Amino acid sequence: MKQPPLLQPSIHEVRPLPVPKIWHWIGGAILTLLAMGFVQVLVTNDNMQWGVVAKYLFSAQILSGLGMTLMLTVLAMVLGLAIGIILAIMRLSSSRVFQTTSWGWIWFFRGIPPLVQMIFWYNLALLLPQISIGIPFGPKLASWDTNLLITPFSAAIMGLAFTESAYAAEMIRAGIQAVSSGQTEAAATLGLTRGQTLRRVILPQALRIVIPPIGNDTISMLKFTSLVSVLALPDLLYSAQMVYARTYQTVPLLIVATIWYLVLTTVLTLLEHALEHRLKAEHQKSLAKTRSWFRPRFFGSGQRAY
Amino acid sequence: MTEPLLKVEQLRKSFGAHDVLRGIDLAVKRGDVTCIVGPSGSGKSTLLRCLNHLETPTKGVVFLNGVPVGVRWKGNRLYQMSFNELARQRQRMGMVFQAFNLFPHKTVLENVTEAPILVRRIKRKAAEVEAMDLLERVGMAERANYYPPQLSGGQQQRAAIARSLAMKPDLMLFDEPTSALDPELVGEVLAVMRQLADDGMTMVVVTHEMGFARDVADHLVFMDGGVIIEEGAPADLLTHPHHERTKAFLSRVLNTV
Repeated sequence: MKQPPLLQPSIHEVRPLPVPKIWHWIGGAILTLLAMGFVQVLVTNDNMQWGVVAKYLFSAQILSGLGMTLMLTVLAMVLGLAIGIILAIMRLSSSRVFQTTSWGWIWFFRGIPPLVQMIFWYNLALLLPQISIGIPFGPKLASWDTNLLITPFSAAIMGLAFTESAYAAEMIRAGIQAVSSGQTEAAATLGLTRGQTLRRVILPQALRIVIPPIGNDTISMLKFTSLVSVLALPDLLYSAQMVYARTYQTVPLLIVATIWYLVLTTVLTLLEHALEHRLKAEHQKSLAKTRSWFRPRFFGSGQRAY
Repeated sequence: MTEPLLKVEQLRKSFGAHDVLRGIDLAVKRGDVTCIVGPSGSGKSTLLRCLNHLETPTKGVVFLNGVPVGVRWKGNRLYQMSFNELARQRQRMGMVFQAFNLFPHKTVLENVTEAPILVRRIKRKAAEVEAMDLLERVGMAERANYYPPQLSGGQQQRAAIARSLAMKPDLMLFDEPTSALDPELVGEVLAVMRQLADDGMTMVVVTHEMGFARDVADHLVFMDGGVIIEEGAPADLLTHPHHERTKAFLSRVLNTV
């Protein structure tokens, strides 16, 4: 029998030490070096012109561009989601006409890059000089000059919102389909109308499912709005471009725009996390009671003699 | 001779080439409990779902109080009803599902008050008073503010029964109401159904619970292969079945109990 050395403590009194994580230390050292290099560029490279960055970060022109970016994001998302809900319901309708229309819209607007769309909308007057309301091939009730209707702003909103509507429609459709058919049947046997079933039973459950992907889409939309600079619409990026076109301080103004985009996406990410967390907490609150329900039974069976 | 509350005439239902119901005639008297039994795939649940047009019959008619369900005359032409017209007829027939189908995003109380507020258009306060009364009857008053996922299957099913009763239906349809339950929870649901039968509710119950059918049913229907093989008083049918298929089915289910 081998005797343990005298100084060794009893195995029951000590905790085992964790396995040393050598690769974490090596990897960490390499990454630290890279990060330090990055910081060195930020701090010591005079081309960054931090003074210029600080001067323009809160300038009126940049802040108004920031407002435009936010407005485009909110409007395009609201409009896109509204159209998306209608498209999703049409897609799930029993009417072939509605199904095909919805399918066609989604196919078209998901297939064209938003940038191409915006330029196209902006140049609509070349295709249709006049926009009229009336009966096709028949009399016209009212008509407008296309160039008065299509501004950079409305062209941008159309391009962004229509693209979003195609993606939102597919998400919302999946959400509606994830709600079991038993829910619709239960509502039907209670005498709820079709609209009541949709509003009170199906959509509340479906929207809960699609909130996380919609949050994600909002962050994408914020970044997509920078495309409007091609329409000379003064959003965050174009406002920065207008300044550096005058002053040639290209890098510091791009840094100003970058800082603001990062701030906005961070805020949106935090909001999304909070919302998801709340939904999950609500879900878990409803499950927590079920669990405490099962726990006594679980322990109880363990204590039984057989 | 009083008109039966529910009458089914020459009902047929096919899914594609598959004939599930092949000519069903059935009458349900007011205040009676009718139990439908039979092997899996015999068409029991489809028959029940045709009664309130959750499935549209391929042929044949269901009459509730002498009025055809799901169709209506306009002069000499017979029209299908729109969904919302049908909804008005469906509220006369409560339905309890195998999978409960409670609304998971609403509390038990909200589940029960939802339809009275939306469809019967009564005030929330009045609906809540009625709902608490019904939840008391099914022994769920203490769980009124719970969400369905917090409840056991038996509790969910009792809440679902209360939800259907809140529409004050003429008739209650039960589609295998205890089949999804753990064995120890079956009793509490059957007890509520027994109480309901004693209170005079007209019920059509598709079930595998032969004990319940024997004790509670006024009328027992045995189905196989999409037709009614035999029907009658439960005591007669269970002890002196005439048809071979009934005998075979009963010996199978009664021996396993």
